[in-house]
Amino acid sequence: MFKYLMAKNEDIPPGASAVFFGFSAIIWFVIGTGLGSFNAAKLAFPDFVTGDMYFAFGHMRQVHVMAVIFGWISMAFAMAMMYITPALGNNKLWSEKLGIWNCMLWNIGLLVALTTLWAGITSGREYSDFPWPVDLYLATCVFIPLGVNVWMTILNRRTQGIYTTNWFFAAATFMVIIVFLVGNSPEFFHLTGLTEAYLTWWFAHNVLGLWITPVAAAIAYYTIPKITGNPLYSHRIGHLHFWSVVVFYSTPAAHHLMSAPLPEWLKSFASVEGVLILVPAIAFVSNIMLTMKGKWHMFVENVEVRFTITGCLMAIPLNMQGGFQQTRAINWYIHGTGWIVAHAHLALLGFSTFLEAAAVYLGLQTLMNRKLYSLKLANLHFWLLLIGFTTYWVSMTIAGLIQGAGKIYEVPYIDVVIAEHPYMIARWLGGTLVFFGNTLWLYNMWMTARKGTVIPQGRMPHELQYER
Amino acid sequence: MAWNFDKPLVTMVDAATNEADKALWEKENLGGITEDNNRMPMPVVMLVILTVLTAFAVTFPLWGQRPTAALYAGYVKSMNLPEVMAIKDDDEAMKKIVQLNKGTGTMDGRSMEDMLERHPLSMNDLRIIKPQIEALMASGVDLGEYTVVGNQVVLANFQGNLKADGTIERKQPWWDKGYTIDIFYLTYFFTMVILLIKRLPPSSWQPRHNNH
Repeated sequence: MFKYLMAKNEDIPPGASAVFFGFSAIIWFVIGTGLGSFNAAKLAFPDFVTGDMYFAFGHMRQVHVMAVIFGWISMAFAMAMMYITPALGNNKLWSEKLGIWNCMLWNIGLLVALTTLWAGITSGREYSDFPWPVDLYLATCVFIPLGVNVWMTILNRRTQGIYTTNWFFAAATFMVIIVFLVGNSPEFFHLTGLTEAYLTWWFAHNVLGLWITPVAAAIAYYTIPKITGNPLYSHRIGHLHFWSVVVFYSTPAAHHLMSAPLPEWLKSFASVEGVLILVPAIAFVSNIMLTMKGKWHMFVENVEVRFTITGCLMAIPLNMQGGFQQTRAINWYIHGTGWIVAHAHLALLGFSTFLEAAAVYLGLQTLMNRKLYSLKLANLHFWLLLIGFTTYWVSMTIAGLIQGAGKIYEVPYIDVVIAEHPYMIARWLGGTLVFFGNTLWLYNMWMTARKGTVIPQGRMPHELQYER
Repeated sequence: MAWNFDKPLVTMVDAATNEADKALWEKENLGGITEDNNRMPMPVVMLVILTVLTAFAVTFPLWGQRPTAALYAGYVKSMNLPEVMAIKDDDEAMKKIVQLNKGTGTMDGRSMEDMLERHPLSMNDLRIIKPQIEALMASGVDLGEYTVVGNQVVLANFQGNLKADGTIERKQPWWDKGYTIDIFYLTYFFTMVILLIKRLPPSSWQPRHNNH
């Protein structure tokens, strides 16, 4: 990577930045889920690692969350953008050199950011925990360069039209910069009270809604038609999906604060918009499922398709939960419970992770011209991820319902803690399976780079037989 | 880019633009990916309509979540009854109060039983809020406009319609301007998406990918 930092742009092989982003993403995924497993162990076994404030749950929880969001998920997105955007425009990435610098500054920035968080230097606001200098660094050295590279690649495309995936990429890279700068304004301008609360959740909601959700979906719009060879079922449904994400996902921030003294009309407005999040979900899932027509055997046979379709299917419970849990009638019960933690993991570890993993599997094989080293390890990775995530999600959902009942019926707190203890152990088990699966994935991709079968020019990875 | 409104449900562009769009659609290679021109399947359209209707239906405040002073007015009155005052044990006294008030009170035409079940109180809680509720009753205000928050009875922060005396109703309304904004917002959204989609070639036409 370092030899390309000062090289001329034309001397850098196409796809180099995507490969670096891809491996960085996997490494951050291993770190992020390792931290998650460690944190979960502290909830399951309260005597596990005590007496040092740096290993206290309160210090480490945010480090896990931010490592996964800005390390794994966002870097996997950057990886996908670096190779899919030019592929769809029949051109090269606008600047591989900018991509390489972007990747290096991203890794350094995130390392510094997580170290400050771990040290206890934090804004104290969930999801926007970083202190303001880190926020400004991430905006200027991470998201703006990424956006410039994506937009310039699209502007310099050699096609007249723009494929659905690139609509999402262009819009999301623009929106995430706005979300980052406006959403962190309480930190920049010392805003307090309800304004701080509202903007904190405006940021948290939109990082999910205008960054993670659309980019993850955009990846599926590429991987499924590309691997199956089927045309995307409907360009029209793509329009409905794209515009409903922009319109309905950007507005319901107030539904995170249904019990706060915000104006009631704002909550009513946000709550309706919250249910309407189902519109893009319906459009997305139906379009991808219908594109699979005649190729469902690939769901069993092909790793990337299996990851993608599993992620798409998870969009159904994700949006059913997301749409309804924010209504007044349900929110009073599940607000502030493990149900929400389960839902957040369904979004990030379920829906989006499965879609991104497919993009990283496909991208690294394609860009390195190497067939996957081991199909068995990839299959094991898939099942460890699926079983681990499902164990986590189900156990935390049940724990959340117990906590909700405890909250409403004013059950003594310690009784609720005792009642949910088995589910905390299940949570740790599930999370640890995911972590273990990711270490195998890192090994598999490293070995693919070193010993994978060479893919002949013009062929796709899935067209070749596995050798192991 | 010319508009054509002869058959707005089929296409909103003129024939020449449609032909140019079709030619481009078939010619263009987007990194090896092609797209079909299928219409929105009817089940998808129905699901979207159902979602919109559901969005409004489930977000109405079917019942208030917050305990109002009106909810506990019956309890407060019951505390002064000799039969309750005669009970020495607080838990027993509370049980008696709950039993006396079962099925009696209504608020805005609805039974308060569910609300009382969701917001149980102890005698100590009641003793704290009793003087505050009695003071409100003496002043003749609408108890439904006051919320019990912990150990305080405060004016609710709901802002509903204007009352005849010029003040604002402090009860959670079943409809507020948030829903009105939603209706406008949705109308704009669906209008724009329909315009966008109907400017594509008619869905009766399907592109031939790579000449087959």
